[in-house]
Amino acid sequence: MELTPEIQDAARHLGQCMRQDDYIRKYLDALEETHIDPEASALEKNMYDEYERLIAREQAGEILSNADTRDFYELRQQVQDNPLITRRNHMHRQIRPYLNQIAEEISFVLGVDYTILAKPH
Amino acid sequence: MVSHPGTLSPTINIDPFQAAQLLGHRLNETPEFKAFLAASQAVHNDVTLQKLSAEMRAHQTALQWGRDPDGQHAAELTRLELVIEDLPAMQEYREREKEVSTLFQAVDKVISEEAGVDFAVNAQHTGCSCGG
Repeated sequence: MELTPEIQDAARHLGQCMRQDDYIRKYLDALEETHIDPEASALEKNMYDEYERLIAREQAGEILSNADTRDFYELRQQVQDNPLITRRNHMHRQIRPYLNQIAEEISFVLGVDYTILAKPH
Repeated sequence: MVSHPGTLSPTINIDPFQAAQLLGHRLNETPEFKAFLAASQAVHNDVTLQKLSAEMRAHQTALQWGRDPDGQHAAELTRLELVIEDLPAMQEYREREKEVSTLFQAVDKVISEEAGVDFAVNAQHTGCSCGG
């Protein structure tokens, strides 16, 4: 959808303000560190790949055994134990209430919940 | 001024709360949002819809209290939901809602690209303190 220049500017300005914000920058730094760390990124990729495989097997009607899911749970534990991923997830949890407060400024002006209308369906 | 993702002139106010307010005011002035509000008000004022909503609440209360041994309240609730969705005022509301949602999603895409984080999805109330 084509946005008017006024709306485009205001949206871009808000995004830039957020990126400059210390709180959000710390999260983005943690996110970047996780992305560039080969071990952390490989661990997460393997976990999600394994998850997708299990879901596909279940959807195909297969009953999964404990042995089938063991690899996934082991991978998930390794992901949860990874310090970079832990830090990123922690920072992510930290910024959500903050993002909510920013969104509430928009919602307050509009009188409706911005996040519900803006969330992809 | 030409701006690029991730860069911000030091002369620009960097308070995200003020920037959010400004965006809110601009969205408030769009034809899509005005039409959405008007449709919302029309739904609110629709007498038929008010009557059907009251009926729905009665069935919902019965369900909440576990008074639906033969499933009649659940069936009636489903029927009323369909009747409400068929009302012209509700159809108009859904149409305007779709339009404003398309606008807001486009706006959110710009915010998210500039900020480096998906905004609306992460800004939603989670309903718990787990942060999930």
